[in-house]
Amino acid sequence: MYRTAAKRLLAGGGITTTRLLRLPKLRSTIIPSSYTSGLCTSSIGGNTESPMGNQSVNPNQSGPTASSSTGTGEGQRRHESRKPRAEFQEEQARVLSASLRHVPRLGWTEEAMMAGSRDVGVSPSIVGSFSRKEAALVEFFMDECLQLLMDRIDSGLDLQNLIPSERIFKLIRIRLEMQVPYMSKWPQALSIQAHPLNVPTSFKQRAMLVDEIWHAVGDGASDLDWYVKRTILGGVYSTTEIYMLTDDSLEHRDTWAFLDDRVKDAFDLKKSIQEAKYFAEDIGAGVGKSVQGLMNGVMQTMSRRSGGSAF
Amino acid sequence: MALRSVSRRLGSRILNQRSFVASLHSHATSFGFQEVKEEEKSKLVGNVFTNVASSYDIMNDVMSGGLHRLWKERLVGKLSPFAGMKHLDVAGGTGDVAFRIYDAVYSVKRRALQKVDEASLEETQIYVCDINPNMLNVGKQRAAERGLRDNKSLVWVEGDAEALSFDDNSMDGYTIAFGIRNVTHIEKALAEAYRVLKRGGRFLCLELSHVEIPVFKNLYDLYSFQVIPNLGELIAGDRESYQYLVESVRRFPPQERFASMIADAGFEKVEYENLVGGVVAIHSAIKL
Repeated sequence: MYRTAAKRLLAGGGITTTRLLRLPKLRSTIIPSSYTSGLCTSSIGGNTESPMGNQSVNPNQSGPTASSSTGTGEGQRRHESRKPRAEFQEEQARVLSASLRHVPRLGWTEEAMMAGSRDVGVSPSIVGSFSRKEAALVEFFMDECLQLLMDRIDSGLDLQNLIPSERIFKLIRIRLEMQVPYMSKWPQALSIQAHPLNVPTSFKQRAMLVDEIWHAVGDGASDLDWYVKRTILGGVYSTTEIYMLTDDSLEHRDTWAFLDDRVKDAFDLKKSIQEAKYFAEDIGAGVGKSVQGLMNGVMQTMSRRSGGSAF
Repeated sequence: MALRSVSRRLGSRILNQRSFVASLHSHATSFGFQEVKEEEKSKLVGNVFTNVASSYDIMNDVMSGGLHRLWKERLVGKLSPFAGMKHLDVAGGTGDVAFRIYDAVYSVKRRALQKVDEASLEETQIYVCDINPNMLNVGKQRAAERGLRDNKSLVWVEGDAEALSFDDNSMDGYTIAFGIRNVTHIEKALAEAYRVLKRGGRFLCLELSHVEIPVFKNLYDLYSFQVIPNLGELIAGDRESYQYLVESVRRFPPQERFASMIADAGFEKVEYENLVGGVVAIHSAIKL
């Protein structure tokens, strides 16, 4: 998060230099990475930095609009009739978007992306420049689905009349239904996301998804910790996603039944954890009001017991 | 007052242009550390490569300790060749990069893993362009040794990087390995590269570049100026050519400057990667 903010700042600051006007984009993408001779022990830190700069579609957009206008100014100095420059991020997004059509047939592969690039009218060579190629396609899809979900929520999904567990059910169902057209190739997407190089980004995307769902559900009357909430929802989402892979029922009825059960389990879990907490607090109230008091109480109890058994 | 500010702006712009042009022309009139006339530079470079052609590959191996193979592998890896691509390798005389691209496209393992259309395989064209016919002959010989003499995918063309004989928007990929240093006008070569590439086509340049790391830089300079010309004398019998080589590396623009030149030619997403601490750099860009 701090990295993308810093890049945005750099891009904004670089616009004012008159000599090398296209460098703002350069600064965010030129990452000179050093390799030791022959061994190619590439620093993974260095590698993951450039994908972050390219993959996240939003942060760089403050740069391009400004640089394209100054770019045309410089273009006039030298060559009048230069057509407007397409920003690489936009081009990548267009190619990936067109590639999604080919995924059910060709899978989440370079072939699908090359077919997509041909549809857009760009040489398939461009696929060679996407970082972590297939992962770029999967991550693009995940981002798109999240955006679609957010749009659906904003355009007035009827959540007010539902209790939290039903809201969660509805949101997860909407999100999973977006994957239905690609269900035959979804296992491949999951394995791509699980690849060590891709885990940071896929984890981040799932975290954002879960965050968004909780945000839409509203916090409700829950005492659970922020992380625990998201972890549990992440678990419910992932298990349902995997269940869906092998579900042949009509309109995935079995999946929704499974999802319903899991959401209820999660809320029951919440209730039972809450009960355990009240119980613990009652014990704590006996020896002191705070959790620290409970700890001390436990320690005291334990030390008392061990002292007793020594005799 | 307005006039003064206008003239100051004009003056600074002219000054910028002049210094810009001057720094470019310094490459055009430099033959290593010597100053030569522009018209003469290409002739002098031509002589160098005519002399070294036959021992070019051996000298590469000796000077880089075999590392140049890894660098070229990395270059082709970055390119990600695909079946049916039209690729241009400029200044690729002896065919190192071209053969690697050929192998990458035609490798049986790759074909098995991906569903490659046989028809598109046939359409693959790899053009090897070099200004020096001697270097091309060595390349053709090596092709014959590999059994690729009559292969239609490999096309050997004699031509000038500053004035290519290919159509606009005809190439999916353009590579130049250890060649752009020898071109008289770098910006012309870059402009030609931009011209022949299709939209979405990639430009990749592998070149000896500048080392900034303190102690390593000194070692590298020592190696370049003391060891390499002697190796040249010993193995190729030509000290001057290798003296030119190490000097021309120093006169070539550093990584950032070259990257900005590439961006000025119109390319997008200009990036570079240093190998061996900057001894070699791979610059990549896309035409959009």
